[in-house]
Amino acid sequence: MSKEFIKDNSQNDTRSDKLKLYSIGSVVLLALIILLVNFLFDKIFGKALTFDFSDTAQNSISQESIDYLNSLPEGTTIRVIGLFNRPDNVSNTKYQYIVPLLDDYVKESDGKVKVEYIDPNEHPSIIQELDPTNSFDLASNSENFVVSYNGKIRIIAPIDCYSYDQSYYFQTGNYMITGNNAEYTFTNTMYSLTQGFSGKAYIVTGLKEEGNTYIKLVLDGMSVETAELQSSDAFAIPDDCDLLILNGPNTDITEKMYVAMTDYISKGGKMLIAVDYSQNNVTEKYDRLNQLLNQMNVNADPLFIYENDPGYQRNGYASDSNVTVANAFASYSSDYALHCSNGRSISELSSDNSAITVIPALMTSDTAYALTLDQTGNPVDDGVYNSGTHYVAMYSGNESSGAEIFVFGTLNFTSDAYISAYGTNDSNVEFTRSCIRDLLNSAGNPTLGIATKTVDNFKIDTTKATTTSSTLVLIIFMMVIPILMIGVAVVVYTKRKNL
Amino acid sequence: MLAIFKREFLSYFRSPVGYVAIAIFSFLAGFIFYSQYSEGAVNIGSEVISLRAFFVIIVPIITMGLFAEDKKRGTDILYYTTPVSLFSVVAGKVLASFMLYVVMFINVIIHIIVTLASGGVFGVGALGTIVVFFFMAFMFISMGLFASAITDSQIVSAIVSFIFILITQIISVIGDYLGTAATSLLAMIKPGSESASSFGEGVRSFISWLDPFAKTQDFRLGIFSVSALFFLLSIGILFMYMTYRVLDKKRWSQA
Repeated sequence: MSKEFIKDNSQNDTRSDKLKLYSIGSVVLLALIILLVNFLFDKIFGKALTFDFSDTAQNSISQESIDYLNSLPEGTTIRVIGLFNRPDNVSNTKYQYIVPLLDDYVKESDGKVKVEYIDPNEHPSIIQELDPTNSFDLASNSENFVVSYNGKIRIIAPIDCYSYDQSYYFQTGNYMITGNNAEYTFTNTMYSLTQGFSGKAYIVTGLKEEGNTYIKLVLDGMSVETAELQSSDAFAIPDDCDLLILNGPNTDITEKMYVAMTDYISKGGKMLIAVDYSQNNVTEKYDRLNQLLNQMNVNADPLFIYENDPGYQRNGYASDSNVTVANAFASYSSDYALHCSNGRSISELSSDNSAITVIPALMTSDTAYALTLDQTGNPVDDGVYNSGTHYVAMYSGNESSGAEIFVFGTLNFTSDAYISAYGTNDSNVEFTRSCIRDLLNSAGNPTLGIATKTVDNFKIDTTKATTTSSTLVLIIFMMVIPILMIGVAVVVYTKRKNL
Repeated sequence: MLAIFKREFLSYFRSPVGYVAIAIFSFLAGFIFYSQYSEGAVNIGSEVISLRAFFVIIVPIITMGLFAEDKKRGTDILYYTTPVSLFSVVAGKVLASFMLYVVMFINVIIHIIVTLASGGVFGVGALGTIVVFFFMAFMFISMGLFASAITDSQIVSAIVSFIFILITQIISVIGDYLGTAATSLLAMIKPGSESASSFGEGVRSFISWLDPFAKTQDFRLGIFSVSALFFLLSIGILFMYMTYRVLDKKRWSQA
């Protein structure tokens, strides 16, 4: 009897062990199956079974983008690289409308668009891989995206993907987002990269200027094709000129040039002009150049910028100083103060032509002098023209013709001497790039018409959501309902206790 | 199953548990809604997402007694002796807890009505967050139920389910740490190995892939992903099965 009992117990133990093993085994098996099925489901059907039901299809690319991607030849690869690790949660961040949209590019592009997120801090080689000449200073673009195609790259900052209230920005320095342009920005960036050069710049030579090696490098990095336009009797500006550059001429433009440039400006041409005030051109009055600039209400004065404010001087030199970026151009450079040497005063002319808008871009302190120099480069007696704020860069745009110019009164933004010394990542060069980008973007570059999408707006009617109603919400939802429930809980508890 | 569901659901209201859970939920939802309303912009999606963070408090409260109390009283024997399948018992209890969540959610529905009456919007993104909310509720309730099935102490059950849900909520952070640890470990074993970083990244990616919050984050933007919902559903079913196995093992062990 006793032996049978022991045998029974032993059988029970064995059965219990087997049951335990079966339970654990089946749970582990099911867990593995669930993981595997989920993984496969995610990989195979994940994208196909993801639907964008958002208003205005915020997170999906439009038919225009799809048609463009379909038009690209097989084998095309456009890389979009976020220079950061993919955020786990994009809600309420600047990437909210960007990251899901990029996922849709991948989904719709049939392998032509690849999206990666690579943090340069973890993978430094990505910078060299994308920008071998380090023209774009990718290391300081850690929150931005890079679009790369055939070795050419473009940087897209998240703010480029939104339209915002500009006046509010200039007043407060904060962005008030009014529209979602993420698809417009990314598709058109891909479009301009795959279309080849985004514009053609002609650099005028033969005016005793410095070399143009580095400005060409900067333009090349921006996918802008460059060509030289020699000063000659047959000087003419080609029809395909999107941007005309005068980089540090030490003699005035010729009559032929003046006529050609006047014609170019009248037809909506874009120009970038840099002319300093140094020993090389102290006797040059630039009469013809100024006649040309005067058509845009700007003048390159024969006045030397002498910075009196020690806070603006660099290493104590009055001729080598900081200049501040005007609010309207604050986004053009990561630095508020830029570097100016041998500065020439650029002034605005008064005019009745309301079509022309002149905006100062770079300015001195409010205690700077503008001096008249003699032939030896020294200030003439009583040569202090003015004490106050002077401008060393101006923007001028003509709404009627579409002409736009940037005039710099220093070569620190374009010259070989400066760029070779400070590099293409310098803040001055960054400012130059922004100016060029600004001029070329409005130079009629072909773009795909992709509509701006509305952003979510959760505002409630303030006439209905008054302080009284707000207080009512507080009382009812945070006090009445919870207290009522607790009261019922107490009653129920008391009744159960008395059962 | 319906009998179990009815019994469990009504038991929430025959004891203070259901009312306390509703009171906590109402207060939290009310606080979030009031914060937005007083600012003049109400995003129901944000409110629902914020409420998901409180699963870690509410789910243990409503699931801790589901099996633990029966075991403590010895009434769990009824599950093994009555002609009802154990899976129906499990499903009935999950459904009861789930329905309690539905009742609690009436608060949010009232908030939606107030928002619309105040000229606000209830967009598809908010709807997406609500869908995710209920799928997550199901998953976490299943976890809580399992925690309740493995112990006869309600306190232990609540703590275990709290830990389960907490781990789920911080799984991405855990993934980051484990990824870094894996990288360091491999770099220590094989100095100079280039694969250490990729291995660590692989570990991080795999663990982060399990994060239900990351998987479903795009719902609030109006992007509905079937695979994310399938994931939540399948994890919930896994925990239901685990609960079933615990009960089944006990049934036959008692024999």
